[in-house]
Amino acid sequence: MVEFDAVVEAALTGFALVFSIIISTGSLAWGYGSMGLETVPRWMIAFGALWLVSQWRGVKWFSAPGLFLSLLFATIGLWLSFPIGWMFSGAIFALFAWDITELRKKSHFMTARDDVKGLERRHIARVSFLALGGLLSASLLMLWWRQWTNEWGNFLLGVSLLGITQIIAWINK
Amino acid sequence: MSRIALLAALIYFIILAGVGTLNGAMVALALPLVLYLLAGLWRGPEEMRLTAERTISAERIAPGDSVTVDLKITNHGEALEQVLLHDPLPAFLKVIQGASSRLVDLPAHGSLSWSYTLQGRRGSHYFSEINAIAEDHLGLIVKRALLPTSGQLLVLPSISRVRHIAIQPRQTRVYSGVIPAHQGGMGIEFFGLREYQMGDSPHHINWRVSARQDGVIYSNEYEQERVADVGIVLDGRRRVNDFSGGRSIFEDSVLAAVAVSSSLLAEGNRVGLFIYGKRNKWTSPGYGKYQRERIMQDLALAETGETQNFKSLIIPRRLFPPNSQIILISPLGGGELNLLSQLRTRGFQLMVISPDPVSFEARALGDSPSVKLAARIARLQREVLLRELRHAGVQVVNWDVALPFEQAVRASLSRPPAFLRAIQRGRGAGQR
Repeated sequence: MVEFDAVVEAALTGFALVFSIIISTGSLAWGYGSMGLETVPRWMIAFGALWLVSQWRGVKWFSAPGLFLSLLFATIGLWLSFPIGWMFSGAIFALFAWDITELRKKSHFMTARDDVKGLERRHIARVSFLALGGLLSASLLMLWWRQWTNEWGNFLLGVSLLGITQIIAWINK
Repeated sequence: MSRIALLAALIYFIILAGVGTLNGAMVALALPLVLYLLAGLWRGPEEMRLTAERTISAERIAPGDSVTVDLKITNHGEALEQVLLHDPLPAFLKVIQGASSRLVDLPAHGSLSWSYTLQGRRGSHYFSEINAIAEDHLGLIVKRALLPTSGQLLVLPSISRVRHIAIQPRQTRVYSGVIPAHQGGMGIEFFGLREYQMGDSPHHINWRVSARQDGVIYSNEYEQERVADVGIVLDGRRRVNDFSGGRSIFEDSVLAAVAVSSSLLAEGNRVGLFIYGKRNKWTSPGYGKYQRERIMQDLALAETGETQNFKSLIIPRRLFPPNSQIILISPLGGGELNLLSQLRTRGFQLMVISPDPVSFEARALGDSPSVKLAARIARLQREVLLRELRHAGVQVVNWDVALPFEQAVRASLSRPPAFLRAIQRGRGAGQR
C-alpha cells in the first residue's frame, strides 16, 4: 500500500502571491500618488490589504475581481496620462497574482510524494518571463514617451534583484 | 466564468477603451494579457486517452471500519502535464488517509497508482467513474474526461443482537418454528387434553385425569410452535425523525429494524420490510440468511424523506395475509393511530417499537427549566398516544435510545421461560 502524507501547502507560491499583490497595488498607488492624488492611493492600498487578507483567509475567487479592478485602475490611469510604467506594473502583477492564485488552488490536490516544488518553479518561471516581457515593453514605452524616472529605474532594479535572488536560491537547492 | 473567457473579455475591454480614446498606451496595456493568452494557447493539453482500474479492499463494511481504495490510471496517449484526477465521493464517506484527488504528470504510455483509505457511515456507493481534468500550463484551456471504473462499497447498519422477540400473530405458517400457533399438536407447552388415540406416546398420557374417568384414557396435548409472516414497517418520515442541529433518531430506528429482522429470521420466520422514507421500498418477504442480506442492503440505503403521513400505506395481501404480524418501528409523531386501528380491524397483529424522540431531544437541548417543562408536556402527550395504542390492542415498546436496544426490549419482547409463564398463570388463577 502506498502511504501518503497530508496535502502539502505551497510556501513558494504564497511568497510570490503576497509580493505580486503588494507590487500591483503599490505600483498603482504610487502612479496615482505621483500625480498629486491623495485619497485614491489610500483606497488602493486598502484594496491591496483586503486582497491580501482574502487570500490569507482562503477566499480564492477574490483574485478575479482583483485583476479586473487593477486593470480598470490602470486603464483609467493611462487615459488620464499617468506614468505608463506604474500603470503597466499594476496590471502585470495583478495578472501574476491571479495566475498564482489558480496555481495554489491546483497545488492543494498534490501530495507529499508529488513534485510540488518542481511544478511551482516551472510555473513561476514561465509567468515571470511573461511579466518580464511586460515590464520591458512598459520601459520601452516610457523611454519612447520620455517618462523614464529614477523611481521607475529603482523599481525595475528591485524587481530584477528579487527575481535573480529567487533563481540563485533554486539553483543552490 | 472560465479563466480564458475572463481574460478574453478583459483584453477586448482594454483594446476597445484604447481605440475609443485613441490612446496607444492603453492599447499596449493589452499586450501582456495577449502574451499570456497566447502562451496558454500555444501548448494546450493533448487529447486524453486514459483508462482507470480500481480495487477495493472490502465491499461490505460496518460503520467505523476502514477500507482501502487502490487506483491505477494508465495513459495510452501522449504525455500529459498537470492532470487533475478526482474520485468523487458521497458525503457519508470520509477519506482518513491519502487523498481522493491528485494533480499529476502522466508520461506517455505510462501509468500511475495511488491509494487512499475511507471510513463511512451507513450507506451505499457505486464508484462509477473518475474525473480527469487536463489543462495547459497556465490553466486556460481545460479538457475533461470521465474514466469509467467499477466497484461498490456498502456500509451496513450497526448490528444489535436480540435473542428472542415474542410475537403472537393470529395465524402462523405450516412450518415448525418457535411461535405459539394456538393449535394442539407436537410442542413443549401444555395446551389441553383429548382422548387417547392410537399412536400417542405413553409419555403423553395424563394418568391423573384418566384415573378419574371410567375406562377412558386421556392424553396431554401440546401447543404447536410454528413460523409466522412478519412485516416490518420502518417509518422514515423526516418530520418525526429529524430534529434541529442535524440530529436524527432515524439511525436508532434502523438499528432496531436490523435487530428485529435478524432475530425473527434466525427463528425461521418469513420476514419482509417496508421502508417509508425518501423512497418507499418493499423488500418482499423471505426466509433465512439470503433474506437477511437483502434487508441489510435495503436498510443500508434507507434515508429519511418528506413523506407526510401513512395514508398511502397499503399492505399487499399477497405478501402479508390478514392475521399475520406487523411491526412498526417509528418515533410516532401523530397520525399513526388511524392507520394502526385500520390494520387491527383487518386482523393484523400489531407491535410498535418506538424510539423515544422526547428523551432524545430533551437530552440534546440541555437542562434549562423551559426545556424541562416542554419535555414534560411532550412526554405527557406521548404517554396519551401510547395508551391509546395499547387500548387499540397494539403491543407497544417505548425505547429510550440512551439504553442499548437489547436491554430496552428484553423485558417487553423476550418470551419468559416456560416455568416462569406457568408460575404467572398460576398466580393469575389464584388471584381469580
